[in-house]
Amino acid sequence: MLFFSFFKTLVDHEVTIELKNDLCITGTLKSVDQFLNIKLDEIRVKDEQKYPHLAAVSNVFIRGSVVRYVHLPANAVDTALLEDATRREAANAAGVKAR
Amino acid sequence: MSFFTTEVVPYGSGGNFDDKGLDYEDTYEDLDADEDAFNDDTFGGPAGADRDFDFAGATAKVANVINEEQAIFSRSNTRKRPTYQPVAAPKAPAISDSTQIPALVPDMSLWGATEPTPEPSYHESYYQMPSTAPGGKKVMTLEEVEAQMLMSQRAPVQSSQSQLQNHYQPLNQLHGAMNQSMTHQFHQQLPQHTPSPGPQFGSSPMDFRGIPAHQLPPHIQQMLQQQQQSQIPQYQQTNQDRNYPQQQLLQQQQQQRMQQRELEPAAPQHGRNQYGMAPHLPAQQLQSMTETDRMRFLEEESKRLKRNHKIAQLARYNGLMTPQDKNFIQRIQLQQLVSINNTEENPHEDFYYIVHSAIRARTNPQQPLSQLAQTYLFRQGGRGNRRQDNHLQRMEQQVARAVAAAKARPKQNQLVLEGSLGKISFSNVKTPRPMLNIQKSESVLEPVKKTSLADRKSLLRAIENVYDVLLELEIHERDRAKLPPLIEGQPPSELHEEWLATKEHLTNKLYAETKMQEPINTASPHTHPFIAILSFSKMKRAMPRLFRHFDTEKRVTILTMIVVHLDSLDVVKNGIYGPDETQLPSAHREDIEVFSTNILPPLMGYMYEAPMSIVVGLLTLALDRINIRMISMTKIGLQFLTMFLSRAELLKQSGQVQEDYVLEWQAQFDRLFDTLDGCWNNCFPPNGKFVDDQYVWQFLASMAVGASMLQQQKLVAAVKDRVLENVQASRILPPELGIQKRENVNLFMRAMGLDVDLLG
Repeated sequence: MLFFSFFKTLVDHEVTIELKNDLCITGTLKSVDQFLNIKLDEIRVKDEQKYPHLAAVSNVFIRGSVVRYVHLPANAVDTALLEDATRREAANAAGVKAR
Repeated sequence: MSFFTTEVVPYGSGGNFDDKGLDYEDTYEDLDADEDAFNDDTFGGPAGADRDFDFAGATAKVANVINEEQAIFSRSNTRKRPTYQPVAAPKAPAISDSTQIPALVPDMSLWGATEPTPEPSYHESYYQMPSTAPGGKKVMTLEEVEAQMLMSQRAPVQSSQSQLQNHYQPLNQLHGAMNQSMTHQFHQQLPQHTPSPGPQFGSSPMDFRGIPAHQLPPHIQQMLQQQQQSQIPQYQQTNQDRNYPQQQLLQQQQQQRMQQRELEPAAPQHGRNQYGMAPHLPAQQLQSMTETDRMRFLEEESKRLKRNHKIAQLARYNGLMTPQDKNFIQRIQLQQLVSINNTEENPHEDFYYIVHSAIRARTNPQQPLSQLAQTYLFRQGGRGNRRQDNHLQRMEQQVARAVAAAKARPKQNQLVLEGSLGKISFSNVKTPRPMLNIQKSESVLEPVKKTSLADRKSLLRAIENVYDVLLELEIHERDRAKLPPLIEGQPPSELHEEWLATKEHLTNKLYAETKMQEPINTASPHTHPFIAILSFSKMKRAMPRLFRHFDTEKRVTILTMIVVHLDSLDVVKNGIYGPDETQLPSAHREDIEVFSTNILPPLMGYMYEAPMSIVVGLLTLALDRINIRMISMTKIGLQFLTMFLSRAELLKQSGQVQEDYVLEWQAQFDRLFDTLDGCWNNCFPPNGKFVDDQYVWQFLASMAVGASMLQQQKLVAAVKDRVLENVQASRILPPELGIQKRENVNLFMRAMGLDVDLLG
């Protein structure tokens, strides 16, 4: 839930997604769901020469399980809050387990 | 045809099934061939390999056409009927018999040549395909297929007639619209074109699809044509008119889809107007009209077509999803909504998003919230249209009801199987992947009660405890907004009192977690737990947040605690320059930075409101308990001393301080001066010319302000070299830095009524 919650705040920010097949896509994050599937708009592929079939693609839906990394826009991340959120998450998990 | 027959035909035998060795029919004796009679219906029947590869595009195209045509027909049905009077009216019961699904067989001739060769039977042609027997069909290359497709697209219009007839045949046939005699006639034609299939084919008497209509006698052709024209729409009409049970409706949908597919290739060849719709009035009738009538008719027609086109555009994707699909989506959406609802009640979930959005909304209220936030967080909000508003409200109410209902019967979200090691939790919105929870025994879960706070791990644990309570308290603070507003003059309601009690409890708990209440034991080899946890930057960063929740008394205690342990603070201990160091290690510098940005401001904030008694008390405490000479060598130490001195000076100048306190202060000040006398130069960082030494000058300035004439002279004598050094350096350094240097020195000089400019 933390990651979902976190990525939701990045909607409308530009992110770069590295896929497990080494494809590297930069685009505006349009939406994300609890599977961390990702919708990107106005995408650019990093190595366009290598992936010409993506030259004409402007938006993509990425299945969450194929994402390797997401490069975050640093100024859109509140690290202190993220720390707190992590604590909350841990507390929740502990709470669930104790139940 | 039997679905289970698997005759293998040897190459070139051309469907000669007399070959005993290859007839496997005997092995399937227990399979009743009669029961395979409907396999065609179930599995779509035998079909030649299609050569139309654009499935999605073509289907979509045809879906449009079907809708349009249906609309056209339903509108013009009454007007049209007289035209077809002579034709035997199709029998309604036949059509309503919708349990019978027409075989789904795209006719080869539709795609291919305009003169389709008779296809004797599926099996035969199928097995002949790969063979290279003379006369048999050759396997075509992709280029050939494409060429053929291109050709067929350019095929002349007249061919459409025969093609249309062709593919409507099975439909007509299956609907039983044709009378028996006709069927009979068909069968009389059959043997001429179809090599009679062996009995094992299970060929039904209706199986005459393969025959191109133009090979039929002309009168049948005509009948077919007329029937096709009147019947298809009629059939669709009946669909609309009657209330079928669910089961039948579904089948009809299926049928319609099949029809669409069948219609597909023929459609583009029909005489079409600009909207891709066939005129529903035959040309002859149009010609027989008068000129004005015709004009009016055409005008009406075009209007109607435009409207239909619009409707068709809107209804383009109607029926794409089955009820089951919709149900599925609705379930997911409802699950989401329920979870959002829970989230609103439980801020522990989705914490980051909620708080982040709140902060963003606070810092930039003008910024329009993202759509997600609007729907998710701030669902209220202005909407324009009133009527639309009503709809939305109704929908919202519906959704609210559905959510409430879903919440009313909570789903079991865990399953414990007997003898299993853990619980199996079902997937839900938050954890889409079901997982196995291994249950820990209670004893393991309970952390071992720690007795000492000496080791790093327990210190970190202590800090986390502080954070946990802090977060709880902060969430509690936020809950205040949910309370009903306080009414002036009335005693606070029960809710408010409850809230205040919880807040009080949490604040006390938080205070306890900071370990402030641990007794100060100077004999102990360990540092005080509070000071120990304060050495972690994590704790340092929490301090401003903690301070907000503490009252004055607690703040004083914290300040006192820090002052008493000033010489054991990590930032002080590590803030002393080594003999050869011109710079502190970066980690230490960072610590000091974090300390001065996070802890000093709240302390100073409090300090500048503190009364003289406290200032004096703190300085006395510091002089009694800690090594002043040592702390004077560090930035943090000097900043604390500056803090005391400047507050005392301000209070003295305000003139509202009791004489006793002033005297007391003077005594302590003299003590401080005497302690530090002789080591003023140690206050400066090494190589002070080029590093930041502003804090030293600030300290010296605050000392000078309170000092007597004699003390001032001593001070000036001690730091004279430093002053000159700095003034010189300010001339060499780049302008901005130089001015800064001068200003720093001037702080000190002005405190004694002097100025750097006097130095020349």
